[in-house]
Amino acid sequence: MSVATPNDTTANDAQADPVVVALMQRFGERAFVEQATLIGMPVLWVARDSLIDVLRFLREMPEPFNMLFDLSATDERLRGNRQGLPDSDFTVFYQLLSVSRNRDIMLKVALAESDLEVPSSVSLYPNANWYEREVWDMFGVTFHGHPHLTRILMPPTWMGHPLRKDHSARATEFDPYTLTVEGQDKEQQALKFDPEAWGMRRGGEDSEFMFLNLGPNHPSAHGAFRIVLQLEGEEIVDCVPDIGYHHRGAEKMGERQSWHSYIPYTDRVDYTGGVMNNLPYILAVEKLAGITVTDRARTIRVMMAELFRINSHLLFLGTYLQDLGAMTPVFFTFTDRQKAYEVIEAITGFRMHPAWFRIGGVAQDLPKGWDRLMQGFVDWMPKRLAEYERAMMENAIVRERTRNVVAYSTAEALEWGVTGPNLRATGCNFDLRKQRPYSGYENFDFEVPLGGNGDVFDRGQVRIEEMRQSLRIIQQCIDHMPDGDYKADHPLTTPPPRDKMLQHIETLITHFLQVSWGPVLKPNESQQMIEATKGINSYYLTSDGNTMSYRTRIRTPSFPHLQQIPAVMRGGFVPDLIAHLGSIDFVMADVDR
Amino acid sequence: MAYTLTRADDAMAADNARYPLGERQRVEDPLDQQVHRSVFTGKLEEVLHSAVNWGRKNSLWPYNFGLSCCYVEMTTAFTAPHDIARFGSEVIRASPRQADFMVIAGTCFIKMAPVIQQLYDQMLEPKWVISMGSCANSGGMYDIYSVVQGVDKFLPVDVYVPGCPPRPEAFLQGLQLLQDSIQEERRPLSWVVGDQGVYRAEMPSQREKWRDQRIQTTELRTPDSI
Ligand code: SF4
Repeated sequence: MSVATPNDTTANDAQADPVVVALMQRFGERAFVEQATLIGMPVLWVARDSLIDVLRFLREMPEPFNMLFDLSATDERLRGNRQGLPDSDFTVFYQLLSVSRNRDIMLKVALAESDLEVPSSVSLYPNANWYEREVWDMFGVTFHGHPHLTRILMPPTWMGHPLRKDHSARATEFDPYTLTVEGQDKEQQALKFDPEAWGMRRGGEDSEFMFLNLGPNHPSAHGAFRIVLQLEGEEIVDCVPDIGYHHRGAEKMGERQSWHSYIPYTDRVDYTGGVMNNLPYILAVEKLAGITVTDRARTIRVMMAELFRINSHLLFLGTYLQDLGAMTPVFFTFTDRQKAYEVIEAITGFRMHPAWFRIGGVAQDLPKGWDRLMQGFVDWMPKRLAEYERAMMENAIVRERTRNVVAYSTAEALEWGVTGPNLRATGCNFDLRKQRPYSGYENFDFEVPLGGNGDVFDRGQVRIEEMRQSLRIIQQCIDHMPDGDYKADHPLTTPPPRDKMLQHIETLITHFLQVSWGPVLKPNESQQMIEATKGINSYYLTSDGNTMSYRTRIRTPSFPHLQQIPAVMRGGFVPDLIAHLGSIDFVMADVDR
Repeated sequence: MAYTLTRADDAMAADNARYPLGERQRVEDPLDQQVHRSVFTGKLEEVLHSAVNWGRKNSLWPYNFGLSCCYVEMTTAFTAPHDIARFGSEVIRASPRQADFMVIAGTCFIKMAPVIQQLYDQMLEPKWVISMGSCANSGGMYDIYSVVQGVDKFLPVDVYVPGCPPRPEAFLQGLQLLQDSIQEERRPLSWVVGDQGVYRAEMPSQREKWRDQRIQTTELRTPDSI
C-alpha cells in the first residue's frame, strides 16, 4: 500500500520547462549543457563568462527568479561517475527560486584547478555575499568583484580549505589541540574587529562612533554568535555579524559516514528541530534509492515532524518574550515542552535528537497506547496558547515593543533569501507543505498563517498560529493513522527487516553487509527541500555509487536570516536589535552547520 | 582521601606555557597533618573548612554560557519542571566576574576555544567547570577538523556529565557531584591564613561505584508499549 508523492518525479523534464526554453532562445542552445538528475529541477551548466548574464536574465525576466536559494561548490576531482558532464575540478552551483512560478533552476559553473575564479553575483543577489565567502573559505574559489572575500566559518588564522577532498576530515588526523599563553594572545588579537577592513569610518561629522562587540557569548545572542555594532549614541549606524563559532563540519562529515549512519548528524543541525531534520535528508536518500515508503511511515513522519515544530516554536516563544524582557513565559513554555518530550520519548526513546527516521521508513512502529499520550498533549496545548496570546501578544507593552519594529517587506525578504515563518510574516504565502507537498502533506487539512507587516510582532504571532495548525495536523494523524508497515519493502531499506535475515545464509550475508557497510546508492544527484521549523531546509546529495555521499550540501534557513541583519538594522536602536534577534528564531548550528 | 594540589603562584605563566596553567601534584589530605600536629587547631580548621564549603556548595551561581544543543537541556534544568533552585543554583549570571562555575554545554570549537579560555580567566576564584555532554567531554561524535576533542585539552574540568545531550536530570546529578567535591575541598581560608594552595579531593569514579549494581540488570523494558 503505497502512493507516489507528486515530487517523486524521476524523469528530468528540463526540455519542457518554459524557463529553459526562454534561456535557450536568448543565449542559444550551445550555451548550456543539461544534466539529468533526480534533483527535480532543470540543472544547466553554463560557461563562466556568461554566468552573470544568465543570472541577470533570470533575475529580470517576467515572474523572476527573485531568490538566490543556495550557492555552494563541489570538489569534483575524485568523482568517478560524471559521464557527459563538462570537465571540471571544482563546480560552483547556484540554485534560484521563483516564488511566483513556484519553480527552481540550478546553474553550474565548471572550473579548472589552475584557475579558480568566478565573477561575484553580489550585485544581483545581495545574499550571495556570505555564500561566496563560504565557498572561498571551504574550497578556495575566488569571487571576482566580491566586496569582502574573507573567511567566514573557519578562524582567520586557519590554513587550508576544509571541503577540498585533499583536506583531512578528522581532528585526530591533526596534532592534538593545545592552547598556549602566546597562542591565546594571538587568537584574541585575530578576533579584534578592525573597522577600516570593513570600510567603516571611526567617526561622523561631529562625533566619534562607538564600536560595541556583542558576543560570541551574549545572553541574547542565542549561542555562539557575534555581531559588532557601529554606534552613534543608541543608534546603530552599521553592524557586522560574525559567524563560524559553531562550525561542526556537518557537510564534510557526510563524506565519511554511511548513508545510514549520517542520520544522527542531521538531528544536530537545527538542534531544536529533532526528527524534522531527518526528513529532508531521508527523502533525498530515498529519491536516490528509488524507495517509496508506506502511508503509515509517511504519516508517522509528518506527525513527529509537526510535534517537533511545536516544540521548537515553544522554545522560540519563551526566549523571544524573554528577550523582550518578560521573565515568566519561558517557564511556562518549557513546561509545555516537557509534556511534548514525554510523548516524544515514549515513541522514539529519546528527547532532543532521536535520529528516528530510517531510509525506507522509521526506526520502530508506534508503541501501544501512543494515541492516548499524543491526544493528551493535543488537548493540553490550545488553552496554553490562548493564555500566551492573551497575556503576551495582547499585552500593550509587548505590542508597543514589537509593532513596526524591524519591519521588512516581502521583496526585501526574498532578496535576502528569507524563508519560513519570517517570510510569511511579511504576508507572502509560501509554505512548501502547501506549495510542493512532500511526505503526504497534501492529504492534510491545515492553513498557512500569514502576517502583514513583517515586524517583530508578526514573527511571533505567526508562530503561535503555526502551532495551532500543527496541532490540527497531529489530530488528523491520530484520527486517521493508516495501518500497514512502518518500513518499505525494498532491498535498500536500512536496516533491513530482521525476519528476512533468518531465512538462509544468503539473506544473512546481505543483511550483514547492509548493516555494517550500509547500502550502496547508484551514482546520481538528488535534493529535497522541506518547510522546517525555521524556514526552508534542504539536503542536496551527490552519490558516486558508494556507501557514502560524495558531497552533502545542507542549505539551512538561519544562515541567510543572520546575513540580513545589517540590512534591516541600520538606523535602528540597540534594544530593537535584541528584539529582532529574538524574533528571527535561529540556532547557531543551523547557521554554521 | 587523596587530593590534587594547585598552587596559586603557579598561575604566573611564561608565553609558551600551556593551558590549563599551574602545576598539579597528588598529595594527602593536608588536614591530616594539622590534626597530628595539634588536635585542637586541627579540628578547628576542619570545622571552619567544612562550614565555608557548605556555604559555597549550596550557593553555586552558574555562568550563563552555552555552546550548542546541550545548552538547551541545561536551560531546561533551570525551568519549572526541573527547577535547579532546589540546589541553590538558580542565580544565572551574565557576567563571568559574578559566576562561580561554568558549564561547558556543547561542542568546543577551535574558533571558540580562545574565547572560552578568556571567559574562564575572567571568572574569579573559587571557580569550577562542569563539562556537559559528549562533545565537551571528548569531542563526542564530532571527530572533525573544527572541533577540539574535549574541553579538558585546555580547561581544568571538575565534573564530566555523559550524554548526547545529557538529560536535565543528569546535569542536576552532575551539579550535586560538584557539590560533593566542593564539600571536601581545602582552599585557603584567607590570604594570610595558612597554606595558599588549592587542594581538590579526588572523588570516586561513578562508573566504578555503580558498576556492580548496574550489571545486575537483566531485564530491559520493551519499546513496544508506552
Ligand atoms: S554532546 Fe550531543 S547534544 Fe551535546 S552539544 Fe554535542 S552533539 Fe549536541
